[in-house]
Amino acid sequence: MIGFRLSAQKPPEARRITDDVIQRFEHIYEVDPAKMTIIEQQDMPAWDTMRIVDSRWEHLAWMHDHWADTVLTAEDLGEGGPHPDG
Amino acid sequence: MTTFVAIRDTVVDELRAILGEEGVLTGKAARYNRTRVPAPFPVHRWAEYVPDLVVLPRSAEQVSEIVKLANRERIPVVPRAGGTGLNDGALPLKRGIVVDIKRMNQIKEVDLVDRTVTVGPGINMLKLNEELRKHNVMFPDDPASYPCSLVGGRIGTSGWSLIGGRYGHTRDLVISFQIVLPTGEIIEVGDGGGRKIRKSSSGFQLKHLFMGHQGTLGIVTEATLELVPRPEMEFAAFFHYPSYTAAWESTGALAKSGLASLGGVVLFDEYKLRYLRRDDEAYIPRPDHVRAVVATALYGTRDEVEPAARRIMRIGRESGGTYLGDEISSGDWASRHDRYATPLHGRLDSGEVVPMSWHCEDASINYSQLPAVMEKWHAITARYAEKTGILDDWGMFAYTNGAYKPWGDYLTEIDIGIWEQKLSDDNWPDWVACKREIGQVALDHGGSITACHGATREGDAELIPVEMGGGFDVMLKIKAALDPNNIMNPGKYELDRAYGLDEKVFR
Repeated sequence: MIGFRLSAQKPPEARRITDDVIQRFEHIYEVDPAKMTIIEQQDMPAWDTMRIVDSRWEHLAWMHDHWADTVLTAEDLGEGGPHPDG
Repeated sequence: MTTFVAIRDTVVDELRAILGEEGVLTGKAARYNRTRVPAPFPVHRWAEYVPDLVVLPRSAEQVSEIVKLANRERIPVVPRAGGTGLNDGALPLKRGIVVDIKRMNQIKEVDLVDRTVTVGPGINMLKLNEELRKHNVMFPDDPASYPCSLVGGRIGTSGWSLIGGRYGHTRDLVISFQIVLPTGEIIEVGDGGGRKIRKSSSGFQLKHLFMGHQGTLGIVTEATLELVPRPEMEFAAFFHYPSYTAAWESTGALAKSGLASLGGVVLFDEYKLRYLRRDDEAYIPRPDHVRAVVATALYGTRDEVEPAARRIMRIGRESGGTYLGDEISSGDWASRHDRYATPLHGRLDSGEVVPMSWHCEDASINYSQLPAVMEKWHAITARYAEKTGILDDWGMFAYTNGAYKPWGDYLTEIDIGIWEQKLSDDNWPDWVACKREIGQVALDHGGSITACHGATREGDAELIPVEMGGGFDVMLKIKAALDPNNIMNPGKYELDRAYGLDEKVFR
């Protein structure tokens, strides 16, 4: 990253997902800050959130590779991806 | 009766002569960091359990010298491997010397002809398998602490493996090991003799006596382990169900599939789904009718796994399951090798987030008894959560428990968040009583109070004589014969009774 970009620092506005959960980035959920008064929520720049999420995906990919040469999925078998209501 | 004494400076000097200056740690940080393990701990009494010093041996001979010295001086000795136990095996209840085995982490021999690897007990399975990969073989002992637990601790606990249905558990994967007895002798134990022999009928099967000893019968200093071909293929499938009963019936059908590549089947109950939907990103978006989940995983050659995967998909669907999709199936499964990385928070009744540590109470329960045990365990937890205000029910899972034959009985766990900062002399007895009631339910239903963690501490340990019956008297006689001065991990498993002691494990 070269120079300052506001979008890399400031997370987008949150939208409510459930009574307990909010979301600022797709697939990334946060506890509702209203439920975090005893332990206050940490302010994180957007880039740091994305770094942690990317690291987690890298870790899972590493773990797959560590355990077997190939990961077979149901989709590979023609057995379908996610169920529409699951 | 053994009376333990404070360690004199001359003893420290003798230990330094055995181990060198860098092998004896007396500083506060080194000792406090080796006081507890992840299992809930009376943090309000932390200072009472800090070891007097820590030693870091490099060889069996050094361990033997340490133990002989401790015997002479009547000093408690507690071995510690990764310190990842969900039981208090590595906790120095009577202080003394903690023997940290992390420097004994060498790979001593890889035998690709007779298919074994011989290692020091301080090696971690992940690091071992990184080395073994170049030979296209693997040591498939796979606890949830896979990246951080050590071989010595796996033997001390008689550990359970996520993929034990396919490859067996620690007791099946450790062929033989070397152990320093409480009086300092160094011996080899296996099924019989022969360091690389998997099956023998010679004499008593001493490997099984020392497997799961929790540091009460000696210190393991070397182990010869099984090698299996590195899996060509992995397949994981997660199904969801509208009720616990539907998922339980499907679990039975999947576990009985007879597929040799089946690593395990896991049943997550409705409380677990409620917890995951609250606090786990993979489950938060799931609709309310997703009430229970069953997970399966296969490992083996491509020729085995592909047809087996088709059969798993068919059985899962025909028994009422709905496939949860590739992303959650493969992603959630990969994360199961590394559950200790989970950040830990829990909730009060109000939904407020507080820091909590993870406790999981485990038992071995027959398939037929799972629904009844589940109901009782949640009721006990709810009662103590209301009474103490520091517990959070994180749900239950049941995981196929048999080696190679994954049906019949299940590693059954209830995960409970506990707000340790609030522990006190007032509520600690409530926590212990909660654990004891959970264990008693396991016994009432014909089970065992622990499948993989061990049961050395208050709340569990007093149920061991109940579960073992006459076998517990044999345990006492063995302990007294092998450890005449009760120096090896005293205070654990109610074994102090062998010496006329009957103390509470925690004061």
